[in-house]
Amino acid sequence: MNELMQLLSNDFLPKFLAGMVVNFEIAAIALVIGLALGLLLAAGRLSGGVATAVTVSIISLMRAAPTFVVMFFLLNAIPRDATLFGAPFALSGVMTVALSLVPYSAAYVADAGVDSLRHLRAGTTHAAFLFFPNVTRAFFVMVMSSSAGAAIGVTEGITVILRQAEQLQSFDDRLVLFALGIVLFGIPLQAGFMLMSLFQRRFGRSTVEEEASA
Amino acid sequence: MIAVIPRAKPEGPLRPRERSVAALGMTGLLFRAMALIALVVGLASFAVGPSRAETPDAALAELLAHARAKVPAACTQANVDRLIKILCGKKIRVGIRDYYPLFATRAGDKREGYEVDVALAIGRMLGVDVDFVRVNAATRIPLLAEDRIDLAIATMGHNTQRDGQARFIRPHYYRSETTVVGPRELPVVSMIDLAGRTVCVTVGNGSNAELVSQGARLMLFDEAGVLPDRLKDQTCTLAAQDDSFFAKYFTDADFNARYFQKFGFAQVPWGMAVARQGSAALARALDLISQIFHRDGLFIDIGRLHSIRLGFLRQQQEVWRTPECNTDAGTANPKCVLPPLNTALQPTSFAAGVTTFEQWVEDGTGIDLTLPMLKTAPAWSLFRDGVFYSLVLITGALAATLAFTLVLGWAMGSRTFLLRWPARLLTMALQSSPIVLTLVIAATIAHGLFALSTETVLGAAIAALGLANGANAGQAVGEAMWSLRAEGVHGGLFGRALNRASTQIVAFLVNAAKGTPIASFIGAPELLSSLTDITSFSSGRITTYSILLIFYTAVVMVVVWLCGRLRLVLEQRQAAA
Repeated sequence: MNELMQLLSNDFLPKFLAGMVVNFEIAAIALVIGLALGLLLAAGRLSGGVATAVTVSIISLMRAAPTFVVMFFLLNAIPRDATLFGAPFALSGVMTVALSLVPYSAAYVADAGVDSLRHLRAGTTHAAFLFFPNVTRAFFVMVMSSSAGAAIGVTEGITVILRQAEQLQSFDDRLVLFALGIVLFGIPLQAGFMLMSLFQRRFGRSTVEEEASA
Repeated sequence: MIAVIPRAKPEGPLRPRERSVAALGMTGLLFRAMALIALVVGLASFAVGPSRAETPDAALAELLAHARAKVPAACTQANVDRLIKILCGKKIRVGIRDYYPLFATRAGDKREGYEVDVALAIGRMLGVDVDFVRVNAATRIPLLAEDRIDLAIATMGHNTQRDGQARFIRPHYYRSETTVVGPRELPVVSMIDLAGRTVCVTVGNGSNAELVSQGARLMLFDEAGVLPDRLKDQTCTLAAQDDSFFAKYFTDADFNARYFQKFGFAQVPWGMAVARQGSAALARALDLISQIFHRDGLFIDIGRLHSIRLGFLRQQQEVWRTPECNTDAGTANPKCVLPPLNTALQPTSFAAGVTTFEQWVEDGTGIDLTLPMLKTAPAWSLFRDGVFYSLVLITGALAATLAFTLVLGWAMGSRTFLLRWPARLLTMALQSSPIVLTLVIAATIAHGLFALSTETVLGAAIAALGLANGANAGQAVGEAMWSLRAEGVHGGLFGRALNRASTQIVAFLVNAAKGTPIASFIGAPELLSSLTDITSFSSGRITTYSILLIFYTAVVMVVVWLCGRLRLVLEQRQAAA
């Protein structure tokens, strides 16, 4: 335990917090791209005809694509000297992880977007606004999923914990460190989910009232 | 006895390229001194060693004398041996690398490094100038075949595959190995200490498979150049790469103070090479020269000047000083020379058909399809195992998710405080732990309790995936039980709760299937791990990872379809109830 305390007394917390910022950064990038792509897909799904069939297929594929495999695909399929419209297109580790989350993000936004647009058309505005807490929930899921970056050397929160764990000899110390990691990850996550639940409950109540009055 | 030694070129001043030796302190005076020592050693060994006709020195002198006797008459003849051409032109064209620290670097006209000085020493032995020609890993063998260089000294590992493309000079002039580098204080001394640890490597490194087989997790990088920086910024705790690559970094005092070469493995002898056609006499001369350089310690002296590791060279000196090897037939003696690294992979029985198919696709579509997993027996075996273990993992993860859903759902829906709260706390902890961390915790506990094996890793991965997803689905079941109670339902509560939570159960079953590739992070031998291993010794990364993506996406879609059927059954049951 002394070894653990010594390790933690150094610069573990600042490093971990910096790592968590990377987790949030990855999730934010994935969400922004996912919003743009997902809303397009949602519009395509509601447009009818062939566009709907094509969009539904694309969304199903995106939903089924495992993030971790997409990440390794991007890492290996895009050459380091690749260019896009003449500009260098080499992906950083952070961008690779963020892009690997885009299929999930876009499919989620498309599903939530379709629901929201249907509510808007039906005139149930409050129900349509549930889109925002749903998307925020997806954001927190992606914060957690971004820890996959540990496999390709992205210095995010879990990477910091694993590096510290490798310095520890004692089995017990490692488990204590992992438990600490769960607590540190859990605080913002549980707080975020609680806020979303509160928000959803309020909107849910308003939605019921709105639907009753409609 | 005649000692054939490095000697000063008889005509003209040193050329700029040759001055690199002088710049390093190896002046003509040094060569003369070494020549004198070699002469004395040679005379001494003549007194106690094999007879004159059997020494490599005599054999080399005789070979060169014979070749020189043909000059200039044979200079205009076609198809003469390259040795004659070199003697006629009074220069040897040596293919060398431009940037390989400590071995061959170039700054303007100035070349430095172990290989540069070896080339110059060979030029002196033959009595000719050295013309350096820039080569890289891709061009060094083609340039030999195209007669644009006479000799390649270019950090080239001698393996059975290359043996068919060039004539390698033996004895080998160096031997590299994959070295594992890490912080000095880290207690890693051998392969067995790597189990469960992450090692940073480059994609395509031939020794990756061996690291994986020892239970190490690999972190892949495209280029070796980033590894020292990743060690310094602690992205990597350990890095594995060719020791010749790390040699330069260990000359840096700061790096050397912080890091240590823990151990080495996967040794590869480096060979100079000449063309397979028309170079028999040149190859024989170079064999003998290399033999003499080892015996007389010239390779060691040059190596010391450039701060490369000398262990192999010292070992070789011992070998070539033995009476058994110090003969003109020593280079043909299997007890004296090292075999090439055996990299020949047994083809599958259908490899030819696969090649035909690849060609057919390329001809028809222009797509460069490469299917390395189907062409060689080891790759095919890895691929089959990967698919099998992936299916085991997915099936296991689905079963475990369902099992933990039932157990934790029942506990969380229980009226008993002692059952409900531990289940809730466990669920909260699992929800707060990213799946990577949950997997690592499961693997750490499994390694602490059981010996490392495929079954242990698979078991840990299945348990982690099942717990992570089962906790979430179980929470939905528990909440459904409480909501049913609130509605006044009492009979068949658990079954009804399962029906009510069917959407969430299905969602987390799909999530468990999608999450299975992450198990490769803790060393589970599923398809992602297998294909990463395959790409470490073969080409076709894009095709390989495309196949991986298609495989997992297809499997998840099948799981989605099956879960959809399950949900339908549950909903029908609910409607009937």
